[in-house]
Amino acid sequence: MTEPGPLAGASAGPVLELRGVTKRFPGVVALDDVSIRVAPHEVVGLIGENGAGKSTVLKILSGVYQPDEGVLLMRGEPVRFRGPRDAARAGIGIVHQEQSLVGSVSVAENLLLGVEGRSVRGGFYRWSELNARAERQLAKIGSKISPTARVNSLTFAQRQMIEVVKAISVEDHAHAEPVVVFDEPTSVLAGEDLETLFGQIERLRSRASVIFVSHRLDEVLRVSDRVYVLKDGRCVAEREPGSVDTKELYRLMVGRASSGQYYREEEQGTFDNTVDDAEEVLGADGLTLRGRFSDVSFSVRRGEVLGIAGVVGSGREDLCRAIFGAEPVDGGELRVGGKRVRFRVPADAVRAGVGYIPAERRFEGVAMGMSVAENILLADSSATSVGPFAVPRRRAALVKEWIDRLRIRTPDSGTDVASLSGGNQQKVVLAKWMSSPKLRVLVLDHPTRGLDVGAKEDVYRFVREMCAQGLAIVLLSDTLEETIGLSHRVLVMRDGQVAARFDAAPGAKPTQVDLVEQMV
Amino acid sequence: MTPATKSAASTTATSLTPLGVPLGRRVLDAGPVLALVLMVVVFSVISGRFLTVPNAGSIANQASILLVLAVGSTFVILLGGIDLSIEGVMATSSLVTVLLAHNDRNGLDLGYFAVLVGAAVGAVFGLVNGLLHTRMRIPSFMVTLGTGAIGIGIATVLFGGQPPRLLDDGLRAWGTERVAGFPRLLLIAVLVLALGYLIQRLTRIGRYILVIGGDEQIAKLSGVSVPRYKMYAFVLSGTASGLAGAMASTQLGVGDVQVGSGQMFATITAVVVGGTALTGGRGGVLQTLIGVLLISVLANGLILVGVNPSIQRSVQGVVIVLAIAATAWTQRHRLRVIK
Amino acid sequence: MSTAQVSEGSESTAPASQVPAAPAAPRLSRRLIAVIPTAVLVLLVLLVASQRPSFLGPTSLRTLLEGAAPLLLLALGQTFVILTGGIDLSQAVLASFGTVLLALWLPIGGPAGALAVLVALTLAGTLNGLVCAYAQIPSFVVTLGTMGLWAGVALAVSGSSTISITKGYDTIFWLRDLRVAGLPVSAVLAIGAVVVSAVLMKVLSRGRSLHAMGLAERAVQMSGTRTFRMRVLAFSLSGLCAGLAAMVLAASQFSGAPALADSLQLPSIAAVVVGGTLITGGIGGPLRTLVGALLVVVLRVGMSVAGVPPSYEQIVYGTVIVAAVALTLDRRRMDIVK
Repeated sequence: MTEPGPLAGASAGPVLELRGVTKRFPGVVALDDVSIRVAPHEVVGLIGENGAGKSTVLKILSGVYQPDEGVLLMRGEPVRFRGPRDAARAGIGIVHQEQSLVGSVSVAENLLLGVEGRSVRGGFYRWSELNARAERQLAKIGSKISPTARVNSLTFAQRQMIEVVKAISVEDHAHAEPVVVFDEPTSVLAGEDLETLFGQIERLRSRASVIFVSHRLDEVLRVSDRVYVLKDGRCVAEREPGSVDTKELYRLMVGRASSGQYYREEEQGTFDNTVDDAEEVLGADGLTLRGRFSDVSFSVRRGEVLGIAGVVGSGREDLCRAIFGAEPVDGGELRVGGKRVRFRVPADAVRAGVGYIPAERRFEGVAMGMSVAENILLADSSATSVGPFAVPRRRAALVKEWIDRLRIRTPDSGTDVASLSGGNQQKVVLAKWMSSPKLRVLVLDHPTRGLDVGAKEDVYRFVREMCAQGLAIVLLSDTLEETIGLSHRVLVMRDGQVAARFDAAPGAKPTQVDLVEQMV
Repeated sequence: MTPATKSAASTTATSLTPLGVPLGRRVLDAGPVLALVLMVVVFSVISGRFLTVPNAGSIANQASILLVLAVGSTFVILLGGIDLSIEGVMATSSLVTVLLAHNDRNGLDLGYFAVLVGAAVGAVFGLVNGLLHTRMRIPSFMVTLGTGAIGIGIATVLFGGQPPRLLDDGLRAWGTERVAGFPRLLLIAVLVLALGYLIQRLTRIGRYILVIGGDEQIAKLSGVSVPRYKMYAFVLSGTASGLAGAMASTQLGVGDVQVGSGQMFATITAVVVGGTALTGGRGGVLQTLIGVLLISVLANGLILVGVNPSIQRSVQGVVIVLAIAATAWTQRHRLRVIK
Repeated sequence: MSTAQVSEGSESTAPASQVPAAPAAPRLSRRLIAVIPTAVLVLLVLLVASQRPSFLGPTSLRTLLEGAAPLLLLALGQTFVILTGGIDLSQAVLASFGTVLLALWLPIGGPAGALAVLVALTLAGTLNGLVCAYAQIPSFVVTLGTMGLWAGVALAVSGSSTISITKGYDTIFWLRDLRVAGLPVSAVLAIGAVVVSAVLMKVLSRGRSLHAMGLAERAVQMSGTRTFRMRVLAFSLSGLCAGLAAMVLAASQFSGAPALADSLQLPSIAAVVVGGTLITGGIGGPLRTLVGALLVVVLRVGMSVAGVPPSYEQIVYGTVIVAAVALTLDRRRMDIVK
């Protein structure tokens, strides 16, 4: 066991550094010239919205990804990780958001998995030795959890404790002070458990450096010495907690130069008159799903866009899925076209005229392995059928019409949709719903995630077109800017309930700060 | 430290057996044990012949081979896989064993060594299963379905139209004689059980199989050689099937293609009902023991009560489905995709 | 297609599902899988015919197709299930049970009896589907269980013995004795069922639903397809096909027996896989299964022509299944194989 003494002097350089790191994926730049420094015994906070690049940074730190440009330095030496084990060997320990423990075996086995070394001789486990080693590791954070306890039998907070111990234990192999990275650790914790975690982090200072990633601003501020703000893959700010408050941090996180042109707000204006008198297409009263959202009420009219804003955990995603029948509803009433409805499966919703563009495009949006044509016809082929029979000519015509109209770039309508770019795949998903004459409501769940600017603009254009045709739209967006720009009205959710409602007529739009204040 | 942590620590058992092996909080789930007790009570009330020594011996006779098979299968099921080749392996091993020992077809007389070869044949099958599964990424049920057929095929070829009779008295004695009313084969079964338990609790093979079954991705990322330990599990299962085939031959006195008939069902039912989940990562050899007892007592009791023995298979089939349904019930979701 | 295309919103760094796997291509490309079985069939036929010219004669072909009919029917039913990504291990046992029921009910009810058997077996298939879909248990577990269930019931109901059909036989005699264009009605029925299925799948608006479920079930659910009903339908059709196979078998054997069709289970799965329908579903169809069934049957003839004793059949089937699955598996789609 290494002695936790300080490294060679406080004047030593940073223990961990990302310098000019860029990481690209097809169609999107996840990180753009990001530089982050962590000094010894420092707690550095990393904040940003979903999609800002936090998880990409973590994956680079843990060796899952390699940077396309820039370097990763440990104690001044450039390093290249080929996988999580390299990162562990270099002394980076990650406390994961989704637990990385195997429930079927004991605490000791988990802590020493893959590194049992001499505690297993000739294929036989020497339990007393293994357990003793585990106890020593547990003692590092003062935990009294028994090494022989089966991980399945522990509470969530206890398991997180074990994760912390596991992360710290990288020091045994790196023979140096570890860098412990906490990935959204508090999302499921509350009260006492939360305090315990903060206590742990304080105690860790003397023997490690810490990176704390979270979207919960007040917690990050409380615990960190310095805070980095990520936005759109760039590091936009570095602050000290004493010199900045939550609101300004949020502004740094979400603030973008808003351009009305981008969201074609002038088009929104044209239709607002008709919207006011229009009838309700989608309505809800007191919708509740235990543990996710409660008592949600709203009304969306013909040609209207209702934006729903909220942070992770606000319940907005579950609400949208419940509208589509992908999640159950425990109580309350849902109405389509004024009639009360009850959706047991998404097929019921589709039959009632509700469509859904999912966030997980590759898994739930497009049917991979099937052609573009088959995908477009997937939801509703009644227009191209006579009774139960398909009419091939009408089908081909419809498919061609929508490929042209949405400018889907594909070599052929028979091409496997899996080979299309993300933007074009999303257009196929849109075509699937827009081509259905039955469609009355379209729910968009992060529709522009992972798309380039051109594709995003196309999506906005289609949203306006659909409104013009009298559809009702529910929009969940990655960015507040998009929500505000596209919506006629905005609902803000927090902790499962509706926290505020805003009107968003062009010229009288709420600001991002207005929304953010209600979201947190 | 929070009170929650403290109380959890105090309720987790830290008792150690003389071997230094931790017992864990609940070695045996309450459900199957209670079911077993209930069944024993019910049957002894219904039939006076149930709770007698000869009947217990009869149960043990049936249970011995099943126990050996089930212990082997437990390791594969703990991984999350399944071994459907049991009957085929038993068939081949039965023919091989009889044809190598003193028999009425050829002049060989290898005695106990023949049994060893029979088990080795099973090990080879297990090796093939493991290789095909890990190298070619074919789901285990598909691989073992195929190799099981191959096993039946090989046995059919060796069979040659007429069952070779086992003439070795020593081996026959193992299959037929009793000690204090209990069959000698029970000794072997208990030995296999003990061995299986030791492997599961004390060896890396056993522990890693549990880890892989619990979360294969984490195992892989932690540097565990997943294919290697999967192979071990299939080899264990194959060897057990091979041994069981030899055991059955000593019982029947012949080498027969049908020697394992119905055993695959009974084995899977026993493992599942004992509490080892088909999804892997949960359960173990001791749980399987309870499952074997459950199945054997049920079979015996039904016969005593006068139920048509053909119904055995039906009951087992229904039990398998009910047991799996019960454990999977809470995870149902309207969008869940299960093939 | 890039496997590194990350959904930007995924925030966790847990090792579980985020490590981009290297794309492993399927052993054989889809186009080859479509063509190879037919090519092999032609090759095999030529090979056998070269050794035994009488093979291509009318009597020989007739016997071949007659023998293939029950196998083809079972394989057709299996195709529906495998297309969705599942498997039906209880088919053959159901068919055996069907022959027993026919032996018992034909003397009593004549055509009504036959109909009743078809209905009963279809319902048994429906039960399979309902349990799979409702309890959300893997199909191989459910059908393993129902295989045991019906095997036991068949044994009990038949008294573990063969029951000859004398009185009611005229209800089904035509399956065996009548000819259409020189072919026995049973063969025509089987091939007809295959063709009808293939045509319906092509022509119906929702004809490709089973395929879609095998390829991308979640996406298809989220587009409005009632996958629950489709799954139940696939298994119901499998039961219906088992019923038809039972009728053909009972007619050709003049009797019903509790294990009459059991040995057909493996060859029927082999027929599906070897014909070019992927075991994971999504690709394939009835016509491919026709090719596969013919392959299996010709293979059997070929083995006897080559002097291979019939006891080797099982070995060949087992090997063929494993080989076919190994070659056609698309490992890209399977990260964790259990």
